[in-house]
Amino acid sequence: MAVATTHCVALSGAVGHLVDVQADVSPGQVGTTLVGRVDPALNEGRDRVRMAVENSDLAWAGTTKRVTVLLSPADLPKSGAHFDLAIAIAILAATGEVDPRALESTAFIGELALNGGLRSVHGVLPMVLAASQRGIQCVFVPEPQMREASMVPDMTVVGVRSLRQVVAALTGSEIPEAPEVPPLSGGRFLSWRGAERLEELDMSDLVGLEDAKYAVEVAAAGGHHMLLDGPKGCGKTSIAERIPSIMPDLATSESVELTAIRSLAGALDPDLGMAVRPPFSAPHHDASKASVVGGGSGRVRPGLISLAHGGVLFLDEFPLFRTDVIEALREPLENGDITVARGEEAVTMPARSLVVLAANPCACGNGTGGKSAECTCTPVQRRDYDLRMRGPIADRIDVVRHLTAARFTYDPLTIQEGSATIRARVVEARQRQAHRYGEQDWRLNGQAPSAALRERWPMTREAQALVDHQIGQGRLSRRGAVKVHRLAWTVADLRGVPIPGRYEADVALSLRQGHPLPTAIVAERAG
Amino acid sequence: MSATDEERLARLALSQIFEPGDYRIVGATAQLGGVKLLELLGTGEHDLPAVDVAERLRSVDPWQQLEIGQRSGMRYVVPGDDEWPAQIDPLDEVTPLYERTGAPIGLWVRGPLSLSSLARSVAIVGARAATTYGADVASGIAADVGRAGFTIVSGGAYGIDIAAHRGALASGVPTVCVVACGADRVYPPSHRRLFDVLAREGAIVSEQAPGAAPTRLRFLSRNRLIAGAALGTVVVEAGRRSGARNTATWATRLSRSVMGVPGPVTSGASEGVHRLIRSGEATLVTCGAEVLEIVGGMGEYLLNEEPAPSLPRDQVTLNEQRVLDAMPAGTGARLDAIAKASGISIILVEGALRVLAGRGLVTLAGDGWRLTPVALQRSSTAAS
Repeated sequence: MAVATTHCVALSGAVGHLVDVQADVSPGQVGTTLVGRVDPALNEGRDRVRMAVENSDLAWAGTTKRVTVLLSPADLPKSGAHFDLAIAIAILAATGEVDPRALESTAFIGELALNGGLRSVHGVLPMVLAASQRGIQCVFVPEPQMREASMVPDMTVVGVRSLRQVVAALTGSEIPEAPEVPPLSGGRFLSWRGAERLEELDMSDLVGLEDAKYAVEVAAAGGHHMLLDGPKGCGKTSIAERIPSIMPDLATSESVELTAIRSLAGALDPDLGMAVRPPFSAPHHDASKASVVGGGSGRVRPGLISLAHGGVLFLDEFPLFRTDVIEALREPLENGDITVARGEEAVTMPARSLVVLAANPCACGNGTGGKSAECTCTPVQRRDYDLRMRGPIADRIDVVRHLTAARFTYDPLTIQEGSATIRARVVEARQRQAHRYGEQDWRLNGQAPSAALRERWPMTREAQALVDHQIGQGRLSRRGAVKVHRLAWTVADLRGVPIPGRYEADVALSLRQGHPLPTAIVAERAG
Repeated sequence: MSATDEERLARLALSQIFEPGDYRIVGATAQLGGVKLLELLGTGEHDLPAVDVAERLRSVDPWQQLEIGQRSGMRYVVPGDDEWPAQIDPLDEVTPLYERTGAPIGLWVRGPLSLSSLARSVAIVGARAATTYGADVASGIAADVGRAGFTIVSGGAYGIDIAAHRGALASGVPTVCVVACGADRVYPPSHRRLFDVLAREGAIVSEQAPGAAPTRLRFLSRNRLIAGAALGTVVVEAGRRSGARNTATWATRLSRSVMGVPGPVTSGASEGVHRLIRSGEATLVTCGAEVLEIVGGMGEYLLNEEPAPSLPRDQVTLNEQRVLDAMPAGTGARLDAIAKASGISIILVEGALRVLAGRGLVTLAGDGWRLTPVALQRSSTAAS
């Protein structure tokens, strides 16, 4: 029989599609063709596969026959060199080197080098996940990526170093020696160091800042985006990078998505297994749009907003970000995912994170409310800066906080709460939300649609009257009122109150309008 | 120097007979001395109005009281003691408020800090239902005023009070807490940590007997001691019905400085302060330095109000200004054009231009007189 089929996975963003790799070896004009919307990197695979097969002391059918390889479905664009192994095995099976029956329910992932050795590829985890969903039970991957592939349950993973080892494994003969496969290069070690540092951060490191601490607790509990402004060095970054420490572990779906994104970005440390803790991602304000939202030439790389999926996306000095980057954030803020369109290809990647914006009070960063002696901005500069602050993104912000530098580094009257204690309250508040929203499409107050809140989950009459009064006074927009409604629910959920009342609405109003909070709600938590 | 044991015990007995601050014995204690007054009360030969104390007189036991107090680590301070805060005595001259007034008969003190430190002190009081803004400002003022050598007085309550104590304690500044209950009690109970630290590093002061419960009248009575102990009272946040306003009233009646820290006009928590300021009862302060200027000795902490930074363009005569205004921003202008635009004679324009050129504000270029970048600086913002 001159036809054989193997399986591989094409990636579109973080989503994998199972691809049948079919090889036909038949008499005709000598040559090798690859069909089925392949990109140049994949097309070069013809040459890699040929040399790899020949250098593995296996017969290459292409020297005497016509070899046609079809990657189907044919309309799905396919890219990347990881199809090499599947193509090689399909051709070898078509010429009888490998028993085609051994290929059932098996997928092959890996790039080939000319000497027949395998090379690691990006995105093994999402590929294996997709394969598993389509009934594949066994997968061959480059040896360094075995652990990554093994994160997928009920999957037999075979780690291999060379084409000869794969053939040997399929034919049941003795596995030959082969040189080790180098792991993926990339910035992973650097980012891993960063993650390690973040693990050690705790809210108890920060003295004072009670107002902001309560605000981030609300943000984490209800999934509310927030804006922190304050002079240089007042602790905006310190508090933002500690938000993941008070967030609960990732839900299973988030965990899978985030790990897949990390795999794609080459930032996955397989020793750590699936991502469990919410990530923290802080793009610099000089960052390009491609690095923040994803894209780039060639393979579509996930951007930093996708690497923050399920965790915190922190934009420090956000008025200084390029306008196109800020504009591009609107979609993920609304939908929880990001679509990068490029030519005919549109790749969607998950990007649902808690967005924390930070800004100095003015362009020079020295303005501190009333005492602005050091501020060197002109009134025009200040107005321009304020306009940037009020851009389209600020509209999607629920919580606004003005920070002042903490007065002390030591406070004898307060035991600073640890992140674990705060996290326990956040988890409890989230459970209340999960219970309330049950089968709805959203899980957190911050995502609840306004109509549903109005119809099914209103505040008490007095609370609504308070909010309506603010609208009447022109201090609150309708859109702002919806945010206050959502926040009031989170405040209620944190306090264990069954329905938001006047007090909760009052606190929510302060959170939304950037007014100071009652000290009682801070003390309530500590006591 | 310290008061005699006899006087101390007599005053202790008196404090058990009368509710502290009882307006009926105002002045009598200071006039006669505790020993004499107690004696007169025993014989009934006194002219105090409507005082019938025979029942209580029989049951008082100052010795026992002193022992109870000392067991809780307290001392009873009376006039004549070195640490007696003499500035509290003028309370005897103050008209009663809620039937309470007068200097305290004696003060129970818990904690190592000597009350003589109250000679230079500032009270910081405010709403229990405070906001984080008020708490932050209160702490800041306490720290700044404290570092200048002042003791911080407050009442140990929720909100502004504890924030003031926190600011002092965190900056290593002496602080005194005047309470409405017995000085051995912790009220509110959740402030145990504050009272523990105060007992170790500061002082808890009360005119009430050990174990006395905090009642509404005792709070009002306590407020007069806060106002009386300090040289000035800062109200940070106060609602319309805040006890802090009561303290301010006492301070006003004592002719002591009352200061108010403003908040947003939309904030209910600052409403009481704004009223105090608007009625002229309180002076507006925004930071520790401004408080020091008011409570410090004459000329001791003068604030240099820095004028807004001046620009070269600000220091010109009227004619010179008219010439500058008449000149186009981007291009040069001839003498006669400037004269026409400014409505000043050519001779004056020429003189003005020469002065301005000397200051680097204008320069003569090929197409006439031009404004220099210095002159253009900020001129756009001045219009906005």
